[in-house]
Amino acid sequence: MFMRYLATLLFLLVPILGVWTFMKADDWHCWFPQNVSSFGAQIDGLFNLIMYMVAFTFIVTEVCLAWFVFKYSKARADKGEFTHGSHKLEMIWTAIPALALLFIAFTQMETWALVKFEKNFPKNGPYSIEKPIAEVWASQFDWRFRYPGEDGQFGTVDDLERSFEFVVPVNTDVVFRLRSRDVIHSFFVPEFRLKQDALPGHTIPVWFKAEKEGVYDLVCAELCGWGHYKMAGVVRVVSAAEYEKFQAELKAHWYSNGKEE
Amino acid sequence: MRYDSRIRRITAVGLAGLAVACQLDKDREPDRPVVHYSLSDATRALDKDTGEALVPEDVQANVAGSLEMLFGSAEHPQYLLLDEWKEAGFDLNWPTYAKDDQGSGEFDETGMAELEKDNARYFRLNLALIDAGEYERVTVQSWSPDLQRTWTDLLASKAPPERDAAFAAEAKKAFESYYPSLAASAELYRQHCLHCHGPEGGGNGPTAPFLNPRPRDYRLGTFKFTAVGKGAPRREDLFRILDEGVTGTAMPSFRRFSKAQLHGLVDYVRLLSMRGMVERSLVATWTEEESLTSGDVIEAFKAVFDKWERAKEKALAFDGEVPHPTPESIARGKELFLDAKSGNCFSCHGPEGRGDGVSAFALDPTSGEIKPTYKDDWGFEITPRNLRYGVFHGGRRPIDLYRRIKNGIAGTPMPEAASALTNDDIWALVHYVGSISERPKHSNRPTPEHDASASHGEPAKH
Repeated sequence: MFMRYLATLLFLLVPILGVWTFMKADDWHCWFPQNVSSFGAQIDGLFNLIMYMVAFTFIVTEVCLAWFVFKYSKARADKGEFTHGSHKLEMIWTAIPALALLFIAFTQMETWALVKFEKNFPKNGPYSIEKPIAEVWASQFDWRFRYPGEDGQFGTVDDLERSFEFVVPVNTDVVFRLRSRDVIHSFFVPEFRLKQDALPGHTIPVWFKAEKEGVYDLVCAELCGWGHYKMAGVVRVVSAAEYEKFQAELKAHWYSNGKEE
Repeated sequence: MRYDSRIRRITAVGLAGLAVACQLDKDREPDRPVVHYSLSDATRALDKDTGEALVPEDVQANVAGSLEMLFGSAEHPQYLLLDEWKEAGFDLNWPTYAKDDQGSGEFDETGMAELEKDNARYFRLNLALIDAGEYERVTVQSWSPDLQRTWTDLLASKAPPERDAAFAAEAKKAFESYYPSLAASAELYRQHCLHCHGPEGGGNGPTAPFLNPRPRDYRLGTFKFTAVGKGAPRREDLFRILDEGVTGTAMPSFRRFSKAQLHGLVDYVRLLSMRGMVERSLVATWTEEESLTSGDVIEAFKAVFDKWERAKEKALAFDGEVPHPTPESIARGKELFLDAKSGNCFSCHGPEGRGDGVSAFALDPTSGEIKPTYKDDWGFEITPRNLRYGVFHGGRRPIDLYRRIKNGIAGTPMPEAASALTNDDIWALVHYVGSISERPKHSNRPTPEHDASASHGEPAKH
């Protein structure tokens, strides 16, 4: 008798602890980092939608499991009954998840298109696909950011290059080109809710709009070799004035005559 | 029923065993292998015929002992205080203190302010936690063992209710004014540099064989990308490599650490490099004179230290503003590049700068393959840079290329520019090299002009 209650309780603990951890996660500082990008709220909305759907299924399944453990754990003398399945039941448990997946697929389309489709990229601001702010180069194992310099063209001698730190203006639609020198890397800034693979041989346009100044971690999110764990950088979001200042400093550093260093 | 009781018994025994194991294990210190310095392969080399050590083992022990006296051990790296240093109050172990105040005075006031400012960036999360009074959540990474000690002592000095504004100020100061000791930098080095550069900076860490180009071996005291040409580098040169990384190689930018930590690493790399230089010099002395005295050891150390001190005044800079390229300067550069008497760049870098010059490669008669002619000072085959890639290890800035051309590259066959070349000539070469490294022609996102040229660029019909 005791074992039966204990087993039921153990199985019930799974949904209870699961829901409790979820509710406390924010207090324990192990939930999402802050969101600072313009489309971040939409991405979080999608995440939450899917999570609540999964949570509902999780709780229902776990409670059923606990109930079955309780109901059928009695030692019984009679033999089990053989059934050959139920067509109706199978239809139901195929159709419901299929509908759920379709629902998710259609709900996320708008957000996906907003973030990834080239036709929806910002056009009216200072930066666009034709005129990106910088080329972001991923290589084993660091990030380099190449600003086009005066001629607005990439790959020319007046390009200004900065390693590790990607400086961008706040509240501005920023478009950049993502490139890789060697293998597949992934540009991931958790605070921007932005992740994009960098493929060797491809030039991939990416955009975001950061709405809060600050320094945000940039990490590689695609296992790219032995040094993947240390392939880190930062995105520094600054005011327009400070961005001008940064560009001037970078230029001064670029055309330094070597006296200062 | 029988099964039930057996399962219960097994479970109980298992749980009890687990509890005992946890209890026994709770005081175990995590394993941390102790790192030792060893002598270089050259010092320990064996005679090919007899199989005996070229440098007798007692001499090797003597050298190892001398090095430990001068530079300490891997766990406690520390320079020996020379008598004259003691008199002058000079101490190479503490770079932030003034030259006559038990330090080596390597930072002026602006330098120190910059270090503090960057510490504030690096420790920003901790400083915010201190401001919020959340002292328990402050974390100090294991690569700063000295700061960990300072922090634990500080927390122990005052109980939570007594922590006032003065305490907060002191706590913030501990982070903002942090400059790692040599031992702490050695720990940082072990966690982030050793796996490529090896425990003695021999460029022979476990990852090294997989890398091309190979990680730098510091022990020759030769560093390629400096402003001083051949010879020991300056602090700024090493710092720049740590700060910017080396494009096109496995050396990344380490800017995620604070400037103080990077300068600490520079201190430690200098120690390893000096250690290697002294080792070579001692072995050379023994080979020449068949004896090694303590006087020799101190002399060797002084000579090496002098080389590093002298580097400080040798930086190559340019007077006035860096000139910008013009069609004339590029044309002039091309002329020099292809002129065997002045620039002579093409003989190695090839007529188009593709790194395929005739003198850099030769037919190997035994294998019948074309192999690089040259080796660098570390004994590895070396090929000239393909200047059309637009990737320059020493940096792409005009002044970087200027320094590479004028000074040559230490440890490689890249020579100093011929003395007949004027500054204008060198800038012309810089501009030409820059112009052939430009990329838009083969960008994979075609520009309208590119499209046009592609459609008209069909092979001509004869």
